[in-house]
This record gives sequence, structure tokens and C-alpha cells, in this order.
Amino acid sequence: MSKKILLITGVIFLSSCATTNIQELGDKFLDLINPSDAPAEVTDLSEQVLVLSGEAGGFTEEELEALSNDELIEIAKEKGLEDRLVLDADGNLLNRDEIIKALVESESLLDSATLESATQELKSLSDDALIEIAEAKGLEDKIVLDEDGELQNREELIEALVEGAAAAVEAAKELENSGIPSTLYFAFDDTEIDEAATRVIIEHANFMQNHPNVRLRLEGHADERGTREYNLALGENRALSVKEVLGLYNLEDRVVVVSYGEERPVAIEHNEEAWEKNRRVEFVYY
Amino acid sequence: MKFLKALILSSVLLSFSANALLEVSIIKSKEELFPVVIAPFRVVGDVQQGAEIANIIRDNLNRSGQFNALNSNEVVIDKIDFNFWQEHKKDALIFGKIEKISSDVFNVYIYIYDVFTEKSLYETKIEVHNSGIRRIAHYLSDKIYYVLLGQKGSFDTRLSYVTVSENNKGKRTYRLQISDSDGYNPQTVVKSAHPILSPTWSSDQNKLAYVSFKNKRSEVFVIYPFLKIKPTKLPKFDGIASSPSWHPDGENIALTISKKGNKDIYLYNLKTEKLKRLTTNIAIDTEANFSPNGKSIAFTSNRTGQVQIYIKNLETGKISRATFNGTYNAKPVFSPNGKELAIIHRVGKDYRLALLNIATRDLTVMTQNKSDESPYFSPNGGMIIFATNRDNKGILSIISIHNNQIVELTQKDSVVREPSWSNYSN
Repeated sequence: MSKKILLITGVIFLSSCATTNIQELGDKFLDLINPSDAPAEVTDLSEQVLVLSGEAGGFTEEELEALSNDELIEIAKEKGLEDRLVLDADGNLLNRDEIIKALVESESLLDSATLESATQELKSLSDDALIEIAEAKGLEDKIVLDEDGELQNREELIEALVEGAAAAVEAAKELENSGIPSTLYFAFDDTEIDEAATRVIIEHANFMQNHPNVRLRLEGHADERGTREYNLALGENRALSVKEVLGLYNLEDRVVVVSYGEERPVAIEHNEEAWEKNRRVEFVYY
Repeated sequence: MKFLKALILSSVLLSFSANALLEVSIIKSKEELFPVVIAPFRVVGDVQQGAEIANIIRDNLNRSGQFNALNSNEVVIDKIDFNFWQEHKKDALIFGKIEKISSDVFNVYIYIYDVFTEKSLYETKIEVHNSGIRRIAHYLSDKIYYVLLGQKGSFDTRLSYVTVSENNKGKRTYRLQISDSDGYNPQTVVKSAHPILSPTWSSDQNKLAYVSFKNKRSEVFVIYPFLKIKPTKLPKFDGIASSPSWHPDGENIALTISKKGNKDIYLYNLKTEKLKRLTTNIAIDTEANFSPNGKSIAFTSNRTGQVQIYIKNLETGKISRATFNGTYNAKPVFSPNGKELAIIHRVGKDYRLALLNIATRDLTVMTQNKSDESPYFSPNGGMIIFATNRDNKGILSIISIHNNQIVELTQKDSVVREPSWSNYSN
């Protein structure tokens, strides 16, 4: 069950920060084979994957411009923008430009349809799973248990989780519009935060103070040079130096740090330009 | 009559369908190699797979960097033409026979002759269970290696490695693979959408420790690829857990755990589930590797501001610096005799495999590559397997310490990395 839980929390924040889509296979172990059996090829897990930012949302302004009015009306309805449509008596679209603008804007937002599907997904989970998600999302205080440890406010908790996800998405959108960089870069084998980086971190600190419900995940990365395990440690130290600055604002309880070392490069070339892009800490709100 | 119980166990393994096979190619072959002839084995009865034995042995010996093993046109039956082989400057002649004795069991005979003294060096008969052909060929390769060189071979062993493939949507799949020492019988033991790092065999060959990101952070797991035992997740605190290294006892594992941001090396006992801290420095301490006697660990640390290698004597608690040459030395692994470390050493902008003599501090750079990683000794110490790049693609490379001959292991459409070599089979 815990795999599914991580999956949902993962998808919700991923949709909010426009990171690449995820497909969870999860590791599968050969824990139930006969002792005389050898390991066989492991098949994909049939885990359900909740894709909130899927292909349906992937229209650019150019692509929308190329569509007919009828197609635009269709998409606007799908995206829950029906009330924004202005049609004449024959059903012809009168505010084409406005709709295109609205669609582009809505692209990275969690729309009502996806909120609904997230709700459905949460409803299908057990109480224990819901409790685990709520704890991971910092909603411990919303959990009401009886003497036997049974969940008493299932409906409420689901609502709070969906609201929390929507709030994180809104906040991320706001952050994006504010122009505050969500990635900081580092020198080779270095974790130092310079003055410019400090200013960016302070802006994030202000943002977090203005949005008391969002939580931050700092993801540390390294370039491919040097050994993988050392780089894993280095990536963590980079994220920790950012966290240290946020700690000055008493925000450390809302910040978690993870390191991917050199395993998640954004640039795959083997040159200085790519390495510079890969030595980084990413701010991911959830 | 010898009856190898292990061969029957292994035969089950061999009957499984193969995954993507590593392509094995010898890159650089030096001339001064031991010239031997391995004649095709004589097959008596319906044992078609028996014809493979000689080919497997020949490939094994050629890959080792010690031999120049050639085929002969004819099967040797009872008369050996020593004059012919002497004229062709072959030092040893190896031939054999495989004979079916029941539907599941056959006998394998092997003979090794010194061409110049015309004397038998070794001969044996082994009863083998059906389909254990590759295993018996590796076992015999080790015998031949020992008879001719007086040293153990590393053929009847296994590799582990990680492959990474990407589909047309850019989605990566990571596989933790195990295979025979020649890359045959590849099997996937873990498949994940998340990175897999640092797999390593326990000395009893029953367990693999590795790092997985499946829970969105690095954690160390121990799996039992051949047994019905659930995987174990090793302890972590509030940060990374990574870099496992087995103690030779197969029960204790050194690993790196971050606690309040400080990355140190800890020792975890799988039986008692107790954790003991081995390093305490505020800097990064990671990439621990146990010495073969289990009495010390080598590890990577940036405690002086530079990335260098240190050795901690676990009996006295004393930590001493091992590398003094260059500004970046990392990922140490002990040679099986405990006298040397294979390391990754920076030369200019490149990261190359190097060999460090611990006592004399002599450092020998082994390659001209740009980005070598993850070295691991063959159990006889004759070769080092490591990951490197060829044409911007991750491959495995095996270098023979004896003469720098290189064998490359590649996989079509996949990156291959993070190799480790198992100990001998039980």
C-alpha cells in the first residue's frame, strides 16, 4: 500500500512544478519464489498511475491557434472552462482569443476534473493509507482517531488532502509568475551559497512565510564527474546548505532534503556546459 | 567418481530464459601469452550441448589476459601428435570427452598435457547433471588455470551490474542484473523506474546489497536472489543511506548514513539488527570497502577539503590517509590479497582507474579513459572490472592486471554500469 501512497503524493506535487511526468514501476523483488527457482524476468507492476498533468493539458498557444473554433469549444469544456465561453445564437465562438489565453493559463493548474479524479483515487484507499499520506503531507493535526486508532474523519481528511494539493499547485503557479528562480547552481565539488543565491533563498523564505501551508522539498544534484556515491553525499550537502539559510527563518520543519547525486541530470551531454546545469538544488513545493 | 552437488543446484538457474546478453569483445591482446590448444570435446551419445564446453573454456582463457587459447581442427581421441604441437609452439594441449549415461546425467572427462615433456598434467572425470554445461565449463576453466599457472581462476563466479534503458518517451528503466562471469545467463533481479546503485555480492554469494531510490530517496536494501526470503531495508536516519560494503562474514555491512546532515560510515549486523558507528568526522565519509580479512575499511572522505582515501584499522581505531598523489582519489576497493587498492584517480580533467600499493604508496594509472567508475577485483585478483564510457555510452570494462588486456562488455540499447564481481561459488 505504501507504494501507492507515495505515488499519489508524488504525482500531485509533480503536476505543480511541471517536472516530467512519472510512471511508477517500483522495485519488485523476488521474495516469493520457490527456493529452487532462479530469478526470472520481473514483470511490470500493475500499479495504477495517477496522471494529473497528462497529455490532455499539453497545448501550447501555437497549437491552440491552429485549432478550429469547434475544437476550442470542446477543449474548453473538457478543461472546465465552459462558463468562459461566449457563443452566439448559432453556437459560434465569439471570444476565441480570450479562450485560448484562458486555456494556456489553465494548463499547469489542477483543474476541477483532475481534482475530482484525485478525490476518487483517495476514496479508494484504506484508512491506514490515508493516514500515511496525511502524515507525509504535514496534515497530522487533521487526523482524528478513536481509542482503537481507527480513523474517525475519513471524508474530512480526503477533503483536506485535495485542498492541500490544490493550494500547493496554486502556490507553485504564483511562485512561477513571481519570477523567483526555483533552481540554484553550484561550483564543482562545492556547496557554497553566494550572495546572489542567498537573495534567492530569502525570496523563497518570504514566499513560504506568506504560504504557511506549503512544504518544500530541496533536491540536491551533482554533475557526472567523480564517483556516484561521493556525488550522492555531495548533492545532499548542497541541499543542506540551502536548508541552513531557510533555518534562519525558522522554516526548517517545513523543509525536507533529498539527494539524487548524479542520477538525475537535466543535461545529458558530457561537457562543462552540461555539468554546470547539473550541479544544482531544485526547490519543489508540495 | 566426483559428484558435484553444486552443479545440480546451478542447473536450475541455467534453464531459465536469458535476458539481453552482454556483448563481450577483447580489445587489446598482447603477444606474450601462454599458448594452449583446446580441442573440441568428443561427444558420445546424444549430448549436443557438450560441444559447447571447449568453446566456453577457450573464451574464458582468452578473456583472462593470460592465455592465447586456440582451437584445433580435430577431436583428440587417443593418440596425441606431440611433434605437431611442438612445431606450432603450443605449450599445453587440453582435450576432453562428454558421455551421456542417462537422460539427465552425463560424464565429463578432461585431460591436460604438457606438449614438450609429453606428460599428463591433470585428468579427471566429473558426473554432471543435465544442463549444467556452462557451469561445468567454468569449473574446468578454473582447473586448467590452476594447473597451468598455479593460481586460482575467476571463471566459476558471477557478476552483478545495473543496466539503464530509455524508451522513445525518454522514460528510463533500471535493472539490477546478475550473470555468469562471462556475461551469460543474465537475469533481472530488480526492475525499477528509479535509479539503482552500488550492487554488491556477499561473500557467500547468496545476498546482494544495493541502493534504490524507489522511495524517492537513497536507501540500502539486501535481497536474496535465490532464496525465498524477503528483502531487508537497512536503517536510515534523516538523509541518504547508501554505499553498502559486505564484511567477509556475510552478516555485517558497512554503509553510509546521513544523520543531521553528517554523512558517516556505520556497521549494520543483519542478525542482531544493531548499528555501530565507524566514522565520526563532520566531513563526508563514504564508499567504505572492507579489507579481505575484515579488520579494516578503506573509504573516501573530503575531511581535508580534498577528496582522498583513508584506511581505518577497526582493531586499533586508527585512521590513516592512503592517497597523497593528486587532488581527487575516491571509491577504493581492496585487492583480494589486501595489499592494493583499486581507486578512481583524477588526472587533469579525467577520472581514471588506478592501482595503489598501500605500503609503498605507489600509484599506477591503468587507463587513458575520461570517466572510469566503480572498480571491483575479480576474486583471484587478476582482473579489475569497472564502468567507463565508450562513444558517450556507459559500458563495462575488464582489465587484466598482468598485461593490461581489456575486455569490453556492452549492451545494445542500454547503458551498463555499477559492476561487481562475486566470490567463488560454494
